[in-house]
Amino acid sequence: MKREIGLDARPENLKVIRDFIEDACREAGVPASEAKDIKLAVDEACCNVVEHGYAGSPGTGPVGVAFEADGKTIAVTVSDRGRSFDPSQAPGPDVGAGWRDRRIGGLGWHLIRQLVDDVRYESGAAGNRLTLVKRRPPVPEKTERG
Amino acid sequence: MEITTLQRGSITVIAIAGSIDGMTATTLVTSFREQVAGGNVRIVSDFAAVEYTSSAGLRALLETVKETRQQGGDLRLAAVQPDVLRVLELSGFTHILKLFPDVEAAVASFPA
Repeated sequence: MKREIGLDARPENLKVIRDFIEDACREAGVPASEAKDIKLAVDEACCNVVEHGYAGSPGTGPVGVAFEADGKTIAVTVSDRGRSFDPSQAPGPDVGAGWRDRRIGGLGWHLIRQLVDDVRYESGAAGNRLTLVKRRPPVPEKTERG
Repeated sequence: MEITTLQRGSITVIAIAGSIDGMTATTLVTSFREQVAGGNVRIVSDFAAVEYTSSAGLRALLETVKETRQQGGDLRLAAVQPDVLRVLELSGFTHILKLFPDVEAAVASFPA
């Protein structure tokens, strides 16, 4: 199944996007624990677009979210037309550091990497596309008792 | 998200209800900063009714922990629910923040 939504990249639309992901996951039969992971990862990705994508003119650009699920994977693509940012260049936080040394930034990408199995990024004339992929656990085959 | 603040002796209890995200975290940061600016650096944040947080909420917590501890206080969390606890754990925040099962225990943990 495939579902898509397109909105202005504004903070108040983050909840709309989370609700969209929740509904799509429910429709695709994604278990609650995986749905929560996907929802948070997508929220982080969209929040980055809202906060940084259209810096200088916040809220003036679009953010698109496309949800696609089959038996093996759930893929959510976040697209925008703002400033490109390759997540592989994002510095990771030192999660073992004490409170004095912990930096305030970098947590969003860290969470995304923890929550999904694959992060793909492409940027070109048509804008930026970030795809978050979560693999679905195999459904155990039913066995006959006896 | 709703924020309710009350004073318990020398401890400021900030109860949060709802979801903390890139939109609502701004309100939370303002609320924490107001308390710290007013000299209230012994803070308990009641998370019993927080159903969701993104990294925007974690940034608010980290900033406030740093500010309060640098001034001899602390920000301690009470009644963190499982979904939020998972986000704290994934981010290494359970090593930084002191967590308590309820507001009573968090308030009592501060020296008199």
